Amino acid sequence: MEFEFLIDGAPRRISLDEREGTLRFSEGESVVEASVRRVSGSELRVSHGGRTFRVHLVRDGSRTFVSVDGREFTIVTAPAETARPRDGEERTPEGSLRVKAPMPGKVIKLGVREGERVRRNQTLVIVEAMKMENEIQTSIDGVVRKVHVSVGDVVDADRILAEIEPKET
Amino acid sequence: MVGVKKKAFGKVLVANRGEIAVRVIRACREMGIRTVAVYSEADACSLHVGLADEALPIGPAPAAESYLDMGRIIESAKSAGAEAVHPGYGFLAENADFAALCEKEGIVFVGPNSRALALVGDKVRARQTMEKAGIPTIPGMKSVSRSPEEFRAAARRLGYPVMVKASAGGGGKGMRIVRDEEGLVPAVEAGMREAKSAFGDDSVYLEKYIEEPRHVEFQVLADNFGGTVHLFERECSIQRRHQKILEETPSTALDPGLRAEMGETAVRAMRAAGYNNAGTVEFLLDRNRRFYFLEVNARLQVEHPITELVVGVDLVRQQILAASGEKLALRQEDLGQRGHAIECRIYAEDPKANFLPSPGRIVLLREPKGPGVRFDSGIFEGWDVPVHYDPILAKLIVWAEDREAACRRMSAALEDCVILGIRTTAGFLRDVVNHPEFRAGRTTTAFIEKNLGSWRTGWEEDERQRLALAAAALEALSRPGGRAPSPGRAAGAETATPWTALGRWRAGGGGPDGV
Repeated sequence: MEFEFLIDGAPRRISLDEREGTLRFSEGESVVEASVRRVSGSELRVSHGGRTFRVHLVRDGSRTFVSVDGREFTIVTAPAETARPRDGEERTPEGSLRVKAPMPGKVIKLGVREGERVRRNQTLVIVEAMKMENEIQTSIDGVVRKVHVSVGDVVDADRILAEIEPKET
Repeated sequence: MVGVKKKAFGKVLVANRGEIAVRVIRACREMGIRTVAVYSEADACSLHVGLADEALPIGPAPAAESYLDMGRIIESAKSAGAEAVHPGYGFLAENADFAALCEKEGIVFVGPNSRALALVGDKVRARQTMEKAGIPTIPGMKSVSRSPEEFRAAARRLGYPVMVKASAGGGGKGMRIVRDEEGLVPAVEAGMREAKSAFGDDSVYLEKYIEEPRHVEFQVLADNFGGTVHLFERECSIQRRHQKILEETPSTALDPGLRAEMGETAVRAMRAAGYNNAGTVEFLLDRNRRFYFLEVNARLQVEHPITELVVGVDLVRQQILAASGEKLALRQEDLGQRGHAIECRIYAEDPKANFLPSPGRIVLLREPKGPGVRFDSGIFEGWDVPVHYDPILAKLIVWAEDREAACRRMSAALEDCVILGIRTTAGFLRDVVNHPEFRAGRTTTAFIEKNLGSWRTGWEEDERQRLALAAAALEALSRPGGRAPSPGRAAGAETATPWTALGRWRAGGGGPDGV
């Protein structure tokens, strides 16, 4: 069966089938076979390539969290056409960049004003979370079309902080 | 005297949260001391609250209105009848006003006396004291300032690069490296803001920045009668954003001669400051094995467990005994180091996204176990990691007979550590421990930037990523209705291999690839 996933934000199209007691996992040309034992509702043992991996897996809403021998991944089911770009980047219908808060926190400083020209990697907003200052920057050159937050605002993850209209400098 | 020995205290209030509150509560329990936890609204369900004998709410989530509210904490100690307050680290641990308030109110502060705390807590005065005592220090500003002109003049005199440091600082908060005059004022401002929010005091100053030093600190214990010993070093060179992430002891950089010299200097520094209780003297060690006094951490350190494992002393117990007025039972000549210990700090940060904080719910937790493995944490499965406090989740500490064995043990323990639902630094720490430069003992404060600055996961990750995708696909197949619904679309009615059928596959059953 075919699956479209985003793993840590990157789209992957894979197929998984069971054949003669083994899992057959394929992605493009590459095919991997493994055997699996379910240990509990959240733990599997997968034997592959001469060793057994401990896989822990929990679903929370739309996200599936998976750990494979100490390496952790977040996987969401998503058809490729709606795959969101990485790092919270998104465009408005007019083509402006929507800069989003990558995690919840509190706005402690605005680095720019509406109408101001900005350069790639310039800090737009500083968001404090877990006692650290995090500089939220623009990934493009352009003009600040809108600043959606003020100093002191508490923001959730993915809240739109600012919109940058792309412009060559 | 066994069994009839007087208890140090009847009841202690623990003025902290997270793993360190848990650590202190455990020590008190073992000593037969009752404990009082305090908690903010964000911590009502936290681990330390459940472990203590009593728990009192002290206000809303922001630390300034709860864990930093001195009046409220003193009031809580009085109402609960606690004779002493253990401040842990952070929050009020190095606040001399709080220590003085405790003294005034007749409550024992488990830490240094307020005068020594005020002295060493003010880094500028501490430097002056150390210079007078003949202890080597890093060139820097003699006092804090608010004038951009004074900062510019001082930076020119010291020569770039310089370091902005918070006078009340610790834990890397408020620190900035400045390489040219253009960057100076923004760095000073950012340092002041961060210092203000972390310590309630925005004083900063400048120091000459020593390139690629090692960070080597010495643990000191002192009683109330001048008895002072050191418990050897901890090397804390592995840092990100000036924050320690991995510590070990012994340091690969010291030989017995240098160790003895630095240890004696640490004891001398603490005596010069009139210090009592547990404290740490931090040194920078440069490439030519010259060492400089950096600061005194006037508290129990995050990384105290590695000393406990290698020296065989329970530091929290010693703190409580010293605070209760007992004489130090340890003699310098009886203390030694045995084996090797490493600590990894597991933070709620996403190493795949430039270490952004990652608060949220821990949906699955499997703690590492085994000989020589210790897991000090304040977390549990189902707990929501709040956004308001430090991102430290847990400390994974291992002990083994030698450094190489300790590295292998740490690597395996990190592999056993499963924290799902939020991002953590466990995978990144494993790459640190397994890095050839780390294994060779070539650790400096530039280690992360030099060796793992553009951290990318390797082939091991690729293989595991495929297995993770396979597991997610299996999980999707097992859900009622078969395949997982795509967002915005109802679940399909496709038939699927049920998850429950997995039981018939054999583990290690020979696949075509010769498994």
